[in-house]
Amino acid sequence: MKAFEYAAPTTVDAALKLLGGPNAAALAGGTDLLGRAKDYVTSPDRMVYVKEIKELDGITGDAKSGMTLGAATSLSEIVHHAGIREAYPALWQATSEIGSIQIRNMSTVGGNLLQRPRCWYFRAGFGLLGMKDGESLVRAGDNRYHAIFHTDGNALFVSPSSLAVALIALDASAKVRGPKGERTVKVEELYRVPKHEGESELTVEPGELLTQVTIPAAGKNGAYEARQKQAQDWPLVMSAVNLTMEGETISKARVVIYGVAPIPWRSEAAERVLVGKKFSPEVAAEAGTAAVEAARPLSMNAYKVPMTRAVVKRALIRAVQGKGYWEEA
Amino acid sequence: MTEQRPRDPGGLGGQSRRDFLRGSGVAAATAVLTGQATGVLDEAQAAEESAKVLSGTVEITLKVNGQERSCEVEPRSTLLDTLRNRLDVTGPKRVCDRGSCGACSTIVDGELVYSCTTLAVSCQGKTIETLESFETGEGSVPHAFHQNDGLMCGYCTPGFVTACKAYLDKHPNATEEEIRKGIDGNICRCGTYVGVLAAAKAAAQAKKGA
Amino acid sequence: MAEWPASPSVIGKRIPRLDGLLKASGKAKYPSDVHPKGLLFGAMLYSPHAHAKVKSIDTKAAEKLPGVKAVLVIAGPGTTLRYHGDDIAAVAAETEEQARDAIRAIKIEYEVLPHVVTEAQSMAEGAPVVFKGGNVKKGRSQTKGKPEDTMAGAAATIEATYTVPMITHVCLETHGLTVGMEGEKKAIAWASTQNVYGIAGDLAQALELDRGDVTVYTEFMGGGFGSKFNADVWGTTAAKLSKMAGGRPVKMFLDREQEHCAAGNRPSATAHIKMGADREGKIVSVIAEGHSTGGVGNGTNMILPYVYRGVPHYSVGQSNALTNRGGSRAMRAPNHPQSCILTEAAVDDLAEKLGMDPLEFRLKNLDPGSPITPIYQAEIPIGAELIGWREKRKPRGKTGTGPIRTGLGMALHTWGGGGNPGKQVSCTIHPDGSVDIKTATQDIGTGARTILAMIAAEMLGLQPTEINSLIGNSSYPPGQPSGGSTTTPTMAPPCYDAVTKARDALFKKVASAFNNARPEDLSLKQGQLWAGGEPVASWKEACRKLGTSPISVTGEFVEGLSSTGVGGCQFAEVSVDLETGEVKAKKIVAIQDSGLILDLLTWESQVYGGVIMGLNYGLFEEVVMDPTSGRMLNPDMEWYKLAGASDIPEIVVRAYSPPDEKGRQVIGVGEPPTISTAAAIGNAVSNAIGVRVTEWPMSPRNVLNALATASREGRS
Repeated sequence: MKAFEYAAPTTVDAALKLLGGPNAAALAGGTDLLGRAKDYVTSPDRMVYVKEIKELDGITGDAKSGMTLGAATSLSEIVHHAGIREAYPALWQATSEIGSIQIRNMSTVGGNLLQRPRCWYFRAGFGLLGMKDGESLVRAGDNRYHAIFHTDGNALFVSPSSLAVALIALDASAKVRGPKGERTVKVEELYRVPKHEGESELTVEPGELLTQVTIPAAGKNGAYEARQKQAQDWPLVMSAVNLTMEGETISKARVVIYGVAPIPWRSEAAERVLVGKKFSPEVAAEAGTAAVEAARPLSMNAYKVPMTRAVVKRALIRAVQGKGYWEEA
Repeated sequence: MTEQRPRDPGGLGGQSRRDFLRGSGVAAATAVLTGQATGVLDEAQAAEESAKVLSGTVEITLKVNGQERSCEVEPRSTLLDTLRNRLDVTGPKRVCDRGSCGACSTIVDGELVYSCTTLAVSCQGKTIETLESFETGEGSVPHAFHQNDGLMCGYCTPGFVTACKAYLDKHPNATEEEIRKGIDGNICRCGTYVGVLAAAKAAAQAKKGA
Repeated sequence: MAEWPASPSVIGKRIPRLDGLLKASGKAKYPSDVHPKGLLFGAMLYSPHAHAKVKSIDTKAAEKLPGVKAVLVIAGPGTTLRYHGDDIAAVAAETEEQARDAIRAIKIEYEVLPHVVTEAQSMAEGAPVVFKGGNVKKGRSQTKGKPEDTMAGAAATIEATYTVPMITHVCLETHGLTVGMEGEKKAIAWASTQNVYGIAGDLAQALELDRGDVTVYTEFMGGGFGSKFNADVWGTTAAKLSKMAGGRPVKMFLDREQEHCAAGNRPSATAHIKMGADREGKIVSVIAEGHSTGGVGNGTNMILPYVYRGVPHYSVGQSNALTNRGGSRAMRAPNHPQSCILTEAAVDDLAEKLGMDPLEFRLKNLDPGSPITPIYQAEIPIGAELIGWREKRKPRGKTGTGPIRTGLGMALHTWGGGGNPGKQVSCTIHPDGSVDIKTATQDIGTGARTILAMIAAEMLGLQPTEINSLIGNSSYPPGQPSGGSTTTPTMAPPCYDAVTKARDALFKKVASAFNNARPEDLSLKQGQLWAGGEPVASWKEACRKLGTSPISVTGEFVEGLSSTGVGGCQFAEVSVDLETGEVKAKKIVAIQDSGLILDLLTWESQVYGGVIMGLNYGLFEEVVMDPTSGRMLNPDMEWYKLAGASDIPEIVVRAYSPPDEKGRQVIGVGEPPTISTAAAIGNAVSNAIGVRVTEWPMSPRNVLNALATASREGRS
C-alpha cells in the first residue's frame, strides 16, 4: 500500500473539499479500497474517511412512502432493519448474503455500490479490461467468473455489487454531490460499460460523493443467489426482481441479474415475458429461459447460462410465493 | 513538492514541531520519512475544522483492551499491523490480509471487524477489544474452546474466539445454524469446525446458565 | 519387550491439550508474534513473471529509503526466474511499511521468457522448456500380467479421464521465521516449522556456524501440512539480513501471494483409466495413463490402482510435466488423495456399469494379500450403518424427480505411519517433584505436547498438567520432524523409555527411605508412591528424598510400542441442485483405525480435521493459473476457496478399535483421514445426479458442465 494522506471530515462539505484534490479517494468500510491499495491496483494520494459524517448515516422512511439509506449506512444496519426486511425482501436477502458479519459491519451502502470489480486480471494489475499486448487475457484465459452478456467487447468483468442489483430491481435513485452541486440519478445510471482501458465502469466522477439512496414503495420483490460456498463467498449468479401486481396480473416487472455482465444486468427479455401475465412457476421458468436467450458465454463460463435461468426463476418464485420448490422441508 | 510551515498537531498526541513535507506519490512519502517528520497538517483552515489531514508518520492513541496506548503509525498502517507490530498485541493474526479469513477479527466499538482492512488512524477515540481481554475462566468462550478442542494449530483460533464472543454477546439464544452464520467470516485450515461449534454451543449454554 | 499399561488411567482418555487455553486466549506467542528487542521487519521481492531472466537489478534507491537497514539480492543479473513468486531480493527495515516500500523501490529489468503453466502447455510439441532436458519426465510405470488381453475379455469395462487439480497447503501462518544474531557466533530463531531440529542446521549452514550455535524455537506454529520442513530461501535470507544489520533480529514471513505461489503445492493428477471386471464383479484389469504437474517440482506419484492392489492384470504409466509454477512439496498423505480419487471414481463407475452396489463391489475386490483387508471388512459395515447406506442409497441417477438430489458415496484409504528409531526424549525428575520432558519435536496442531505429557503422567501416576512438556527447541534431544503421521509413534516410545527409566531410577534411590522397601515393591498411582499395596508418600514427598540430585534420563526408541499400516473408509451424503450445480455435503462418516489411541479428544480432532480438509479438496480447492500471463490468478483466500462453518456437514467419526487393534500399539493418524473424503464426495455427487463429474472439485461449474455434456450426448 502506497503512503497517503488521511482525513476524517465530519460534514459532506468538508469531505467534498478534501476530495477535490488530485487523486483523492473516499474511504468508507475499506473492505474493497484497502485491498486494492494493498495490491497497488489503486494508489490514492489521499484517503478521505467518510464514516465520521453523521449526515451520511442511517435509514429513514417507511414502506409506503419509500425509504432512504445514507451512503455510510452499514450493511449490518440494513440486515437488522425490520422495516427493510418487510418491505424490501430483495434488498434484505441480497444484503444478508454479502460477505460475513465482519464485512457487513464495516461495509457501507455507498462503498458497496461503488466497489470495483473482483476480476482477477484487474486485481493482478492488468487493468480493468485485463488486456496485455492488445489481447484480452480474460478471453484467452480463465474466465469462469466472467460475463456471459456483452461479451462482444473487451469489458468482460462482472459488476461486483449485489446490493446494486437489488436496488435497481427496486427502482432506487442515488444522490451524488460534487463540486458542481448535487444530482440525482437512477442507481443503474451509476454504472456503464467502459469502452476502453482508462474509462471507469462507474459514473461517479472523482471528487464526487454518493450521499444517499432512495427506494420507492415496491411491489412483490425478492432475490436469489447461487454460490459455491455457503460460508462467506461471492455469488456466482444472483438475481433480484420486483413485480408490480394488478390483481393477479403482473403490470410491471424489473428483473436484474448479478454475475453475468459488466453492469448490473437488467433483463428486459425476462421482464417482457412477465408483464401482462398471471404469475405462476411456469411463467417464472419462462422468464428465466428468456433471460438467457441472448447470453454469449466465454470459453469457461457456459455453466452460468443454466445457472442464470434457474436463479431468475427462483428469484421470481421467492418474490411472489416466499418459499420455493427447491427448499427442503 | 511544497514545503509547509510546521504546525501543531491538532491534539492528536502532542507532537513536537517538525518540518513537514507534503506532496503526492512515493517520492513525497519518502521525503517525509527521510526527514523523520512527524506531523499533522492542518490544511483545513479553508475547510471544516474536522478536516485535519494526516500525513507522514503520526502519533496516535488507541484504547486497546481498556488501556490508552500511544504509538507512531502512518495513515496507511492497518489496525492489525499497529496492534501486532507496534503495540505487541499479537492475539489477532495476519493470515489473508484482505478481509477474507477472519484471523484478524477485532471488536471495535462493540462491532466485529477485520482489523487487517481497517486503518489504525480511523480507530482513534474508539474502543478496541482483542481476545487477550476476554475472561478465560469456566463459562468463557476461550475456556470452551480449550475444553472442546476447538483448535489445532491455533492460528485461526483468536479470530474464531473473537467472532464467537462477539456473536454470542449479541445473540445469546442463537441456534447452531445461526452460530455457523455468525462465524462464517472466519476460516480454519486444520478443520477444527466441529470443536469450534461444540465450544460455541457450550459457551452459549454457560452464558444462559450464568 | 516394552508394553503400554493394560489398564491405563490417562492414556486413551479425552485430555484437553495443555496449551489449549494459551492458544484460545491469544496469549500463545507464535514465531510470527515474537518481538525481540531491536526487531526489523523483512519483506521479499518476488517474480511477477512465470519465466524471466533478470537483466539488471538496482537496489540503490531502496537502500537509501528511510528505515532500510539491509538489502540482499537473491537473483542477480543473469538469473532465471522460473515462476510467479520466485525469490529475487529481500529487505529489512525498521517498520513493515518501510520494508514494503523498499521492495517496490528495487528496479529490475526483466527479459520475459515464454512460459508453460498448464499441463497442456507443458506437454505441447515445441513447448518452451522449464529446465534443460525437456518438460515431460516419465514416472514410475508398472505392468503385471496381461492387462490388454484381459480387458478385451472383461464382462464390463469403463474408460474415462479423471482430473484432480493442483492445490496449495494454505498454512494460515505463512512460511517464515524471526531470526537474530547474538554476537558474531550465535544465532537465535523463532521458526514456523515442522522440523525445529533440522531447521537449525539449515540456518547454521547459511550463517557458516556450527549447528549448536543456532537455537531455534517453535513453541507454536500455524500449520504446515508437509510444506514446512526447511528454512527455505526466505529463512536463510532473513538470517543473512540480520547479519548485515549488525545482528538485529529480522522477522520475515511471506505474504499470502508468495505463500500460495512459492511455498509448496500438492501436484495435480489426471489419469485416463480403463478398468474391466468379470461377470462376478471382480476387477480383472486396469490400464491407466496419468500425468501431473508439481510446477518446478515433482508430480504426483500415482498409486494405481489404489487400495485394490490384488487386481491380477494392470499396466500403469505416468509422467510429470514440469511447469513454470512454484515446486510441489509433501502435502498431508502425499500422492494418496489423488490416487484415491482416480481409483475410487473408476471403481464406482465400474460398479455402476455392472449394476452392482458399489459397497459390495468394493468388498469383493479387496486385496486378499493385504493385512489391511480384514480391517476394511470390519470397518465398511460400521460406516454403512452410520450413513444409512442400505436404507438411503438409491442406484445412480434414480434419486428422485425434484431439482435437489441426494446421493451417497464411499471410498477407502490406507496409510503407513509408524515410528522410527533414532530420536530421543529426556525425562528429568526434580527433587521438588516437577517433571520435565524434553525433545526437539514440535506441535503442528496434532497435540504432540500433550501426548508426551500424557505418557509421562501415565507412567508416573500423575496428571498431564503436572508434567512440563518441553518441545519446540532445537537444543533439546533430537526429535522427529512432523511428517508422515510419524511424530507420535516415533516420539512415544523414547518418551516411554525415558520416563520408565527415570521412574525406576527414582525407585532405586528412594526405596530404602520407605520402610526399607525394595525398589521392585514400589509403584506410582494417583499421585502417590505405593509400597506393597499401600500408599506411603505423596509424589512430592517421594521426590524430596532425592535430596539435591535430580534424576535425568534420555530415552531411546524401543520396539513394541508402535507399529504401522492403517486402513479407513469414509462415506458421504451430499445434496446437489441440478439447476444451479450447487453441492452441499450433508453428512460424512469416517471410520479409522490407528492402533492405540493416546488422547481420544485430539485423535478425534485429527480425524474431523482430516475429513474437513478432504471436504475442501472435494468441493472447493484449486489453483488457477493464467495461461497467457503465467500468473496464479487466485493467490488469496477469496478465490482460493476454503470451507467456512456453514459448509461443514454433520461428521461422524468412529475409531475402529477392537481389543486387538490396541495391540497394534501407537500408529499415528494425521494423514489417513484426509485421503478418501474427496473421493467419497465425488462418488456421492455422481450417485445423486446420475452422471460422473470427472473433474474435482465438485464446483457448480464442474457439475453443470458434466450435466450439460451428458445431456448433449443423450446420457441424461
